[in-house]
Amino acid sequence: MNFDIVIIGGGAAGLAAALQCKDKKVSALLIERDQSLGGILNQCIHNGFGLEVFDEELTGPEYAARYSHSFLNSSLDYMLDTTVVDIIKNEHFIIKAMNTKNGLFDIHAKAVILSSGCYERTRGAIHIPGERPMGIMPAGSAQRYLNIDGYMVGKRIFILGSGDIGLIMARRMTLEGAKVLGVAEIMPYSNGLTRNIVQCLNDFDIPLYLSHTITNIEGHHKLKAITIQKVDSLYQPIEGTEKRFVVDTLLLSVGLIPDVQMFDSLKFHMSPTTKSALVNQHYETSIEGLFVCGNALHVHDLVDYVTIESARAGLCAVQYIKDKNKPSKNEQFVNINENIRYVVPQKIDFNRLDDQIEFLFRSTLKAERALIKVMQGNQVIKEKKVKYVAPAEMEKISVSKNEFINHEPITMILEVLQI
Amino acid sequence: MLMYDFVVVGAGIIGTMIARELSRFEVKTLVIEKESDVANHQTIANSAIIHSGHDPEENSLKAKLCVLGNTLYDDLEHELNIPLLQTGALVIARTNEEVESLNMLYKRALKNGVKDVQILSKEELYKKETHLAEGILKALSLPTTKVTYPWEVAFAAMENAIMNGAKLSLNSEITKIEFVNHSYELTINHKRKIKTHAIINAAGVFADHVAKMIEPEVPYQITPRRGEYFVLDKKVKGFVQHVLYPIPSKKGKGVLLVPQVHGNILVGPTSELVDEKETLKTTKDGLNKIKEDASLLAKNIPFDQTIRTFAGIRATSTYKDFYIKHSSFAKNFFHVAGIDSPGLTAAPAIAKYVIDLIKNHIDLKPKEFFNPIRAKKSPFFTLDSNTQKMLFEKDKRYGRLICKCEKVTEMEIVEAIHGPLGNDTIKGLKKRIRAGSGLCQGGYCESEILKIIARETKKPLNKINYYHPNTPILKQETKVNK
Repeated sequence: MNFDIVIIGGGAAGLAAALQCKDKKVSALLIERDQSLGGILNQCIHNGFGLEVFDEELTGPEYAARYSHSFLNSSLDYMLDTTVVDIIKNEHFIIKAMNTKNGLFDIHAKAVILSSGCYERTRGAIHIPGERPMGIMPAGSAQRYLNIDGYMVGKRIFILGSGDIGLIMARRMTLEGAKVLGVAEIMPYSNGLTRNIVQCLNDFDIPLYLSHTITNIEGHHKLKAITIQKVDSLYQPIEGTEKRFVVDTLLLSVGLIPDVQMFDSLKFHMSPTTKSALVNQHYETSIEGLFVCGNALHVHDLVDYVTIESARAGLCAVQYIKDKNKPSKNEQFVNINENIRYVVPQKIDFNRLDDQIEFLFRSTLKAERALIKVMQGNQVIKEKKVKYVAPAEMEKISVSKNEFINHEPITMILEVLQI
Repeated sequence: MLMYDFVVVGAGIIGTMIARELSRFEVKTLVIEKESDVANHQTIANSAIIHSGHDPEENSLKAKLCVLGNTLYDDLEHELNIPLLQTGALVIARTNEEVESLNMLYKRALKNGVKDVQILSKEELYKKETHLAEGILKALSLPTTKVTYPWEVAFAAMENAIMNGAKLSLNSEITKIEFVNHSYELTINHKRKIKTHAIINAAGVFADHVAKMIEPEVPYQITPRRGEYFVLDKKVKGFVQHVLYPIPSKKGKGVLLVPQVHGNILVGPTSELVDEKETLKTTKDGLNKIKEDASLLAKNIPFDQTIRTFAGIRATSTYKDFYIKHSSFAKNFFHVAGIDSPGLTAAPAIAKYVIDLIKNHIDLKPKEFFNPIRAKKSPFFTLDSNTQKMLFEKDKRYGRLICKCEKVTEMEIVEAIHGPLGNDTIKGLKKRIRAGSGLCQGGYCESEILKIIARETKKPLNKINYYHPNTPILKQETKVNK
């Protein structure tokens, strides 16, 4: 099997990237491990998707359906129920995949797009002390059990972490008749979108305990109770602030991590912050012809942003196949100041500048007003004032080709403005 | 009433190994276990090391059985087809005082009969390991140290014992022992009764509890000691190649770094006396202490790659050594108690020692046909491509990957459900084939595995347990007409 482009993962990112291959005279194959397209959107039955892309509010499955219909109506190749187990690069990529039709088999590709989404951080990764009974699970798993399989995982729920999935599940479990006793967040601010705090917690009188974490778990075989404690500025629990909740379920919404571990053997350069590949403005990794997009690259707030980014990545992969005479790269890292947690892309290839580069980034702090500056040397080449920045809300700034004054590295600076 | 020759209490590594040794003879053996699975306490929560024997005191039973057990594992590797990784070990000395202790340990190791021990200079040891902490002066090299997959050893021993005629009864807690008409009558779960000529008490942390049912004064008491651990993802494979020990103290061998057979690295354990015998609790202080202590062995340990923390309980007893004796009170009642570290290492030697002990009291007639071999079970992904193709042709379910972190196929799950020690729970399958043991800890595959179990056992999804009886992950169905 030979293809120009192989796209791994058929969720929002993979579909958007794949659709860019339509009518471009390139051969493309989309590989999806589940039995249907759409990825995690299929279990996100709440609404709020599509405001940016379609200017209307859709549910997750509706949003996914728009793309999967276009995809299925195109003549693009795809494989469902197929898992990629490894990728090797020699001259071209050799993708090792498996399914019940072919067993283990190889696919050859000139370019690969990783759009494999992300996975949820687990209890083990965050070292919550206490007993280890059943009844503790990532919020997304509970969401899948409830919305896809049709089963509740418990009746008295506490949620650790104020990530969006946790907030959405607080509302969802309440609507299904469970009692959600609270949400604890170790940071002094929420990690979810403001609209989710309002619509999922406030509207249902579910308390949000900011600067709190779980310090004990009780229960031998089954979860019986949890204890939360307030933390100080160094995130250390403060004695005397213990609150105990009798619960049968603890849902964790403590972060998402790009799911690119199956592709370790490619050894592309990684960012310790995003836990995924370092890419240039074409979403190309340190390995030529290997692109990453969507939540497999960094975790997005809105699926709309995933779609926009992945469509761009798809287009870049098409161009990569079509360009017969590619110039050598001149990649420079994008520097950031301490108020920025990470920026994507992390590198600019100055030998192949497009008309515009869009930088997405997250702040390390919360501020009412802030100034974003893009510098080259001592010179500010672009700046933008923003009203509200928070780690949970992704920011963006675009720089046009003609705004660069030379090919020197750029620095992004986020300054907090006093009101 | 069913009558056995031997009842072995406890299906941990000790009970299962003893059952296997007994199955070499013409006897009717039953292993009873109060838990729902084999290998559920110490056997599933320890450092997985087959120690060389540098630590136990000279002339102790621990020393003798540890050194013998270590060599017996090399036979077991082939007979039971268990994973064994020859890592070797380094005992690290950081101060002049510790170098003195190291010299003492060297002599002790020699006296205990440990082979190939050697004291390494600074230069030699930094060449062997690249991530060692700075400031180490010398190390004791123990090339015979290795690691295994402890519960797989217990499974293998139990399967082999069953193959040779032994029986296993799970979810069976002894609630009463009576001596009636020259034999024992055991009450199980306050109801069922069985009879046996002899009892072997390998009940781990509950050994004193079981002994108390028949002995007025039990000569030892189990004082459970908790050990907490970090499990690092297999991505860190090669960070350390040897088992790294500090100089041991009265409380035990200290916090270690241990490469595992599947590529993970264990860091731990702590050692703390606890009141409860079944607590699996990890603590903030314990986990912090591990980080602190481990930093004296290796630098920049990738704790950010932690996939799990856990705690295990060791059945330390008030008797300093292993307590393996015939009861001074009850006839044909054998204590195999206080088996803390190096219990895993010593297990095969303990089993042989127990047989010798039994022979002093009961005649054992060897079986004409004993098959010591437990067939090899290789994960699909470790097979060569021809075997993979052949298996796939036999059953297409080998082509469906369920656990992508540990690369487990649907067919391997089906086989584990229906296998010789079959199990139809999420954790039971995880113990058997590692599905869900990886980086995402089952986040993706758990729901798939539930469906496979439901299909294979013809049970509804919300009757599938996480592990213990009555622990379903899914509760009430939402999409039914109420």
